Amino acid sequence: MNVTRYSSSSTISPTLTRRGFVKLGGVLMVSFTFPRLSAHAAEVQPPTSSTALASWLEIRQDNTIIVRTGRTEIGTGMSAFYAQVIAEELSVQPEAITLIMGDTDKTPDGGYSAGFRTGAANLRKVSAYTYQALLGLASKKLRVPVSALTVTDGVVSGGGKSIRYGELVKDQQFDLKIPVSGEPAKVDPDSPNGVSGLDGLVVLGDPPLKPMSQYKFVGKSHPMPGTPGKVTGKIQWSCDVSLPGMLHARMVRPPTLGATLISVGAVDKAHFPTAQVVTKKNLVAVLSPNEWEAVSAVRSVAAGTKWTDWAGLPGSENLTKTLRAYKWDKPSESRGNTADTAAALKSASRTISATYEQPYIKHAPIGPFVAVADVRSDGSVTVWGHSSNSQGLRAHIAHMLSMPLEKVVVRWLEHAGQFGRTTFGGDGAEGDAAILSQMTGKPVRVQWTLQDDLAWSASSPGWVEDIKCGLDSSGRVTAIQSAFYSPTSNDARIVGAILAGMPCSHPKTGYWIATEWAYDKIPNRLEDVYGMPNLGADSATVGMRGLIMRTPGQRQQNLAIESLINEAAATVGVDPIAFRLQHTTDERLIDIIHATAKAAEWEPRPFPHTGARRTGSEPVTGRGVNIMVRENSCWMGIAEIAVTPDTGVVQVTKFTIGVDCGKIINPRQLERCMKSGVVMGVSEALKEEVTFDTGKITSTTWSRYKILTMAEMPEVKIVQLSRDDKGYGMGSEAANGICLPAITAAFFDATGVYPKRIPLTPAYVTALLKS
Amino acid sequence: MASELTLSVNGAKQVVSIAPDTPLLYVLRNELKLSGPRFGCGIAQCGACSVLVDGAEVRSCVAPVSSVVGKQVTTIEGLPEVWATQKGLSATDAAKTLHPVQQAWIDEQVPQCGYCQSGMIIVAVELLSKNPNPTVEQIKDAYTNKPPSPHLCRCGTYAAMIDAVQRAAKVIQT
Repeated sequence: MNVTRYSSSSTISPTLTRRGFVKLGGVLMVSFTFPRLSAHAAEVQPPTSSTALASWLEIRQDNTIIVRTGRTEIGTGMSAFYAQVIAEELSVQPEAITLIMGDTDKTPDGGYSAGFRTGAANLRKVSAYTYQALLGLASKKLRVPVSALTVTDGVVSGGGKSIRYGELVKDQQFDLKIPVSGEPAKVDPDSPNGVSGLDGLVVLGDPPLKPMSQYKFVGKSHPMPGTPGKVTGKIQWSCDVSLPGMLHARMVRPPTLGATLISVGAVDKAHFPTAQVVTKKNLVAVLSPNEWEAVSAVRSVAAGTKWTDWAGLPGSENLTKTLRAYKWDKPSESRGNTADTAAALKSASRTISATYEQPYIKHAPIGPFVAVADVRSDGSVTVWGHSSNSQGLRAHIAHMLSMPLEKVVVRWLEHAGQFGRTTFGGDGAEGDAAILSQMTGKPVRVQWTLQDDLAWSASSPGWVEDIKCGLDSSGRVTAIQSAFYSPTSNDARIVGAILAGMPCSHPKTGYWIATEWAYDKIPNRLEDVYGMPNLGADSATVGMRGLIMRTPGQRQQNLAIESLINEAAATVGVDPIAFRLQHTTDERLIDIIHATAKAAEWEPRPFPHTGARRTGSEPVTGRGVNIMVRENSCWMGIAEIAVTPDTGVVQVTKFTIGVDCGKIINPRQLERCMKSGVVMGVSEALKEEVTFDTGKITSTTWSRYKILTMAEMPEVKIVQLSRDDKGYGMGSEAANGICLPAITAAFFDATGVYPKRIPLTPAYVTALLKS
Repeated sequence: MASELTLSVNGAKQVVSIAPDTPLLYVLRNELKLSGPRFGCGIAQCGACSVLVDGAEVRSCVAPVSSVVGKQVTTIEGLPEVWATQKGLSATDAAKTLHPVQQAWIDEQVPQCGYCQSGMIIVAVELLSKNPNPTVEQIKDAYTNKPPSPHLCRCGTYAAMIDAVQRAAKVIQT
């Protein structure tokens, strides 16, 4: 976080000025100002003017409204939600709002797209400041005090008179400056992620916000504006960008993650007359004006290219052993009380210890990385891509090319869902495209293959967690102590820059505590998390790069805590839902636990159930539960599964998922995100594992990196609780994480054996049940 | 070496000069500027590139363009016209009417990122042309078990797709 905090709000106020009359198209434009406050004045440097051209919001004479944000649609519905949130504060219909997202030269604020809550908080305030300015204008025009004005659908009324927003700005241009802090994203060696400013600008002050209880549009299922274009083929995706004179490139990657180039294969000019090979250190590409020629020519070039050998990975089957053998430094982060927790564990009636683990997994979008870059002779650069942090990407590209930020423009277009891998602005094909464009002097489009993507994009690292709890004589948990170990997951360095030996960011190695504590009645706890560099980090191409993935950190750490809670409930013979209710007083959590349990028709019975068995050719069923508190949201998941012991096949037959995410913005879109999140969670619990040998990732096709298919999807039942007094939570993300501990608990319920590892593949399950 | 091939795409004759082994996907996207079908895997394992060839789903990333000469190729861009022809809609009505599968995809808000959905829509059109009232199990079967591979959606929109196929089925049957 790089947010400057202010001690006084008295100097934080917007200013509205009239620039004068214009002949055509009156407008109220909202941009920002950096307040100069004595305490922190030196920290508040306004961005250079050329990186801050765009207005945030425009009220136009024709009653249309333009809103610009650097945050983007990532498939969860942001493009609908933002319009709903803005419409409330401005008192207009959502349809009146046109949202422009992601282009660094058209949007002012930056920020990562996953951060809807921060993005929404910003745009709510921008809209609220604008609303107050519009009321002020209307008050003057109508000669009615602001307090006597009301607004409906952009029409201001009072004193028997009314006026539309558009008429307020007719033939005039107004500038509204609102106070913000922050600075454009830039590569910064002092920043933990290697890039500072990834959060984007933050709007300051506290303009009056409309009470959520008075909302008209939030809470309704407003459609996503991009959907018609996506089903008719009219949308332009990032893979559709085509420029005059553009070359198509396919990359020739090293055979292993650490190999270096010895010599490059030749293009068969007889067959591929317009193809060429371009090399920069270990970056090798085949380019052609014709895409299929590039695809065809790359095969023989790749076959003729020689690389050094490298074998710096342990092999995926040895991952846990390798993590165990690593000499961990002190924790990256610790939370809780060491002495009290140790004392509570020592005096406990009994303790339960467990270890849980998961291999590397992949974001694995259906569309591999693709980008177009145009590095021009005048020193300007435009990159078209699908990063979920356009300003972050701009920072990486400018740094790589040793160019000032203002020379680089990132244009954003929709593409396949990324699930967090571009949150820090890096990874991806954009670096390849910019380097190749600089070298050839032409616009270059780089399309990674599926194999490129599954082998060379960053992964969500594997991990191990040791966890134990102490129970008192009445079966209550008195303490939990945990230690989480994982390779780092913030390596957003640009692949092309690494291979070409060009300047990269320097993210710091580490990990963080991602859990939010659900159990206030457990009096003692100690959480330690440990980070280490990438596996194979000493290689030329820095080995297995790790990056965050959907519900990062908490998805992993919650599996350990919630599994331990389930094991403790079984140990003391208490129903796992009743056991959770014994350890929390959080009313929101208690409400969603009861509502979800009811929807799943949960009745207490022994856990594991009396018919549990670990042999046989007939399926045995089980059920399991878990909870999560994340980002002002409370989650509950109940899995019902069938296990066939002899074959090891696990099927999740039904999943009941409940959420209280504060005020629900868009119930249908939330339902879609919950159901689809369950698909990803079940996929992760049953199937997903990145496999690697001693030199390379080997799970590089969909037949080797398996994800859930439609036929494997469970029946999903949804519970939603909306509240007017708790603000917005994060409803679109955590649904995958809430599946994992429920499914492993259901496996225990069915078989009597508690899995310590996911995925529950047939091979692992049969071995586990025989052990 | 390039050959001159005559194709029928979305009801129109198209003449392209192209190497006959070029996959249909590259011809549709780069020569005919139809961006509905998309590159996903290039090895017929995901279905993002699917189009209809004489009414049957084909993975255009591996089908040589020469294999569709003399056949009718339909992408999602051509579906409204297929429906208009099927229903004998007037030009005015046709211009504002999507294929019921596309409309159902909007009404049910199926796409999340939407990258795979062109192929998903193609499968639904093919399925409903053969089985106008499919059960949930038959829908799952069509998306999962038909060679060469399951149709994959990483966002996990499968439940919404089932809702949309059933909604489209009702419209098509009326």
